[in-house]
This record gives sequence, structure tokens and C-alpha cells, in this order.
Amino acid sequence: MALRDFQNAIGTMVRASDGRDRLKDRKVTPTESSYLSSLPENAAFRFTVKVQRSWCAGRAAKAAFLTLSMLPDETRRQLLNDWTSLGGGTQSFVAAESAAFLEFISRHLENPSHEFTVCMLEMAALRANEGARHFARPNPINLDSQQCLLQRGNYAGLVRFHAQPQQLLDALMKKEPLPPMSSNATALLFGPGLDRLYRTASRKEVIVYEKLTAPTPATLLVGEGFNRESLQDLLEGGIVEYAR
Amino acid sequence: MSAGPSVGIAIPKLGVGLPYFSSLPPELYRSGLVDFVEMTPETICRQRPKGDTVALEIVTAQLDRARHTCAALPLVVHGVELSIGSAHGWNDAYLQMLDSFQAKWPFVWHSEHLGYQTIQPDGGATLEVGVPLPLPPTREAVDLVAGRVLEIQDRYRVPFLLENPAYYLPDPPADPEVGDDIGLMRTITQSSGCFQLLDLHNIYCNAINHEVDPLSAIDRMPLNAVAEIHVAGGSWNDGFWMDAHDGRVPEAVWELLEYALPRCPLAGGVVFEMLDSHAERLGIDAIEQELLRVRKTWDRCARG
Repeated sequence: MALRDFQNAIGTMVRASDGRDRLKDRKVTPTESSYLSSLPENAAFRFTVKVQRSWCAGRAAKAAFLTLSMLPDETRRQLLNDWTSLGGGTQSFVAAESAAFLEFISRHLENPSHEFTVCMLEMAALRANEGARHFARPNPINLDSQQCLLQRGNYAGLVRFHAQPQQLLDALMKKEPLPPMSSNATALLFGPGLDRLYRTASRKEVIVYEKLTAPTPATLLVGEGFNRESLQDLLEGGIVEYAR
Repeated sequence: MSAGPSVGIAIPKLGVGLPYFSSLPPELYRSGLVDFVEMTPETICRQRPKGDTVALEIVTAQLDRARHTCAALPLVVHGVELSIGSAHGWNDAYLQMLDSFQAKWPFVWHSEHLGYQTIQPDGGATLEVGVPLPLPPTREAVDLVAGRVLEIQDRYRVPFLLENPAYYLPDPPADPEVGDDIGLMRTITQSSGCFQLLDLHNIYCNAINHEVDPLSAIDRMPLNAVAEIHVAGGSWNDGFWMDAHDGRVPEAVWELLEYALPRCPLAGGVVFEMLDSHAERLGIDAIEQELLRVRKTWDRCARG
């Protein structure tokens, strides 16, 4: 058996954890075949899988630290277990899979809830931070063009808090009880061009952001009462961008 | 291939080493307890997309902080991301990062683990296994790694060391002329001329988990090619002794150091290894005590 096939067989079995050799069609000697087929019942192989799972869960836990810290132990364990079962947590650089893991977690959270808010917050902060590395402030002059189309910024986000954001985050950091859910949401906008990557959103800005799921003429927005200065502000913060 | 181990490259006698962790107090690196620092450069990098692949980018602020902390201490590099034994290809991004790292902060020698952690099933995308795995002791594995070692030696022009790994998997099918994991290390060092990083805690783990005699294992290692030694702690888990780097060095590993160090004439230093995540729990006093014990052994056993 070629080294590459051998490594693929062992590596796939460790990742899959059920010990099933998925490369049975490879040319293998009787010794190799016997070795591979004996692994699922072998305590040392099972321990290797256990170590792999533990390392992967450790990496994934770092990738969504805040959100996971809010969840009951059993829920957190289950999410980590489900994620590592899908092959998550294998990457040494946690940031590489943070977004995917947070998105996975968000599908299992009640919306609205403080947990969902913090999950969205981690995703938005990650995204804006990623965009900030190469963000170039766009020239606002194009806003005046009749052909100008705007869309949501690729690295932008909007997060709704159902309590005062600082109050929620303070409670989280101090491990104190979370504030009650409020019916009045406070929205934060995230963008790679903003000074601290976020700021509070006005009601009108929330409406604009939600409207821009598809490229929309700037003239249409102005015609609906959004002033040009506000649009320029959103553009320079990377919250909206020119559609090409 | 080269004629033998370590031909024509001198290993300086550095002494007692400690991994660099930003979480440890900088004073520890300037206390006189540490003669050299061992750096895993990936820990000060971030990954970013680069076309269809990824690049490892050194974070300047973290590099500056590390250099400031370690001041004038000699530096050695201990990589974890190369995956030198992956048959589908090694990690080019790691090497490109190391090129840049060497230009910014030259190192005395560098090392990697003898194993692999990425696969490429059916010629598709490269997948990370999630844990490093041991290479089978076969001629193909020897040729693959020895060839790559030669490339590395040519590229960095400083000594390159391979670390003997701890592993839990049952021994894989082997080619008789290579034999086992120790035969694999011997054959690679002989055919490529690289050095060995002798990890005594890994020897200890394998001795317990695979029921072999650790002293015989040490005797069979290419001791004339050992340029650096690691000692570390571990813990029991499910009936296995884990290479967890989560505590103080077991007495049995200290005894292995006493046994091995006088038999490794080229050894340039001994490093007390631990994981960053366990350093705080271990505490500065315990770390200092381990460093003092390494020094005591070094002063008594290392040949100058």
C-alpha cells in the first residue's frame, strides 16, 4: 500500500471516529488489511480518536468562546460534540473556522435570546476585524451618480441587543445573571471602516441596512427620505458598499 | 543523500532552554535561569486566505513583544505545522512563514516532529487530521522525509532536527530493513544528515503505552546525532500515559535525562517543555524548580 493511501486510510478513520476504513478499494497486502480492520476494536486506536476529539473540542471552544460560555454545560458539550463529529476543530488556527462554527451554533439557539445576540456579536466582530485589514475608504463621489447601486458591506453586520449592550456584556464578563429580555432592541452596526469596528445604529440606518439585501439604486434610497450624508457615513464605515 | 548524520555542522552548547510564552512573566527569560529560548513561530501568526490556499502571517506586534521579552537570548525554533511526513505534500505556508521569520529573527537551529497531520483523500482538498500521527517505518517514508530534510537544510543553512514522537496507535506494518519507529529515526538521520531532537517524555510515553524498555529505546536512538533534548510532564487518561505537557517532569524522565545526556556528545541544550495553557496552573515557582534541575543535570552530565 502506498504511503499516501495508508495515511489517507488512518487519517480518515481517526477523523471519522467510527474506525471504518473507507478506502477498501486500495491495493493492500494481507498484513495491511489485517492492521486496518483490527483498528476499530483496538483500545489504542480508540484512545487516539479520543485525544483527537479532545483537541478538536478544545480548539472549537476557543473559536466561539463568549457564546459557549453562556450555554448550559450539557448544551455546550453537545454542540462541541456535534461540531467535532462533522469534522470541526481540526484546524490549528481557530479563527479559520470560527465563522463556520458560530453559524452552526446560531442554528441551535433561540431567536431572540441573549445567547443568539452574543453569537451574532462574535460573528460580526470577527467579520469586521477580518475586513479591517484591507479596508480602503471608498470615494463617496459615486453616490451622486444616477447609476450608483448600493448593497450591504461584505464585512458588515447588524446585531440586535435585547438589553443595553454594555449591561449584557458586563454581566457576561462578571459571570453575573443576565439582564431581562427587553422588547426594545438596541442595534449595533459593525463595519471594517468604523473606528472601533462598531457603533450604535439609528432607526433609519437599521431600515437602510435591512433594505439592502440586494443591490439598490442610491437614488431610490434618497427618494425614500434617506439623506446623502447618512449614506456616505455608512459607505465610509464599510457598512454599505458599491455594488458592481 | 548525505553520507551520515550531522556532517560538518557544529551545534553550539547553549544549555538550559524554555519555550516562549507571552503569558509568562518576561523577567523569567532574563533571570539567568534560561540560557536560550525555544519558539514555535506559528503561535505568533494568523492565517489568512491567499488565492486558493492560505498564508501564515507573522503578527508584528507579537513578534516585537517576543523579541523584547527574550532580549539577547539565543533562539531555536520548534515548529508544529510543517507536517513533514504527509505523502500528499508538506505545508508550504509554514515554510514561507519560516523564511520570513528567519529574516527577522535568525535562529541557531530548528526542529519539527517526525510525523504527519494532513491528508488528501482521493486527491481532493487537504484535510487536517486534528492530531499528529506517526509514520509507518517503511522505505517510502524514509525516502520522503529524508528528501525533504535535504531541501530544508539547503533552504535555511542551520541545523535541522527531527523529534521522535509519542504515539498511541498500535505499531503499523513495517518494512523489515527499517523495523520500527526508532529504526525510522535512525535511517532518516543517517540518510539525510539531519540531527535529532530527543524527546525523553515521548520515549517514556511510548515505553509505558507500548510496554518497551525506555533505556533500550534510548540506546537504539542515533545518539551521536542528538542536538537537543526535551523533558516534560504528562498524565494518565483511560489507562494511557498522555504526552500532555501539563505538569512537572516525572522522576522516571529525570532518570532518563541522567542516562541519555552523557551519551549524546553533540547535545546543545535541554528544554523543559509545557503547554502555554498549563503554565499558569503550574506556577512560576514550579517552572523555576524544573529549570534549576535541568541546569544541575546539564552541568553535571553535558560534555563541553
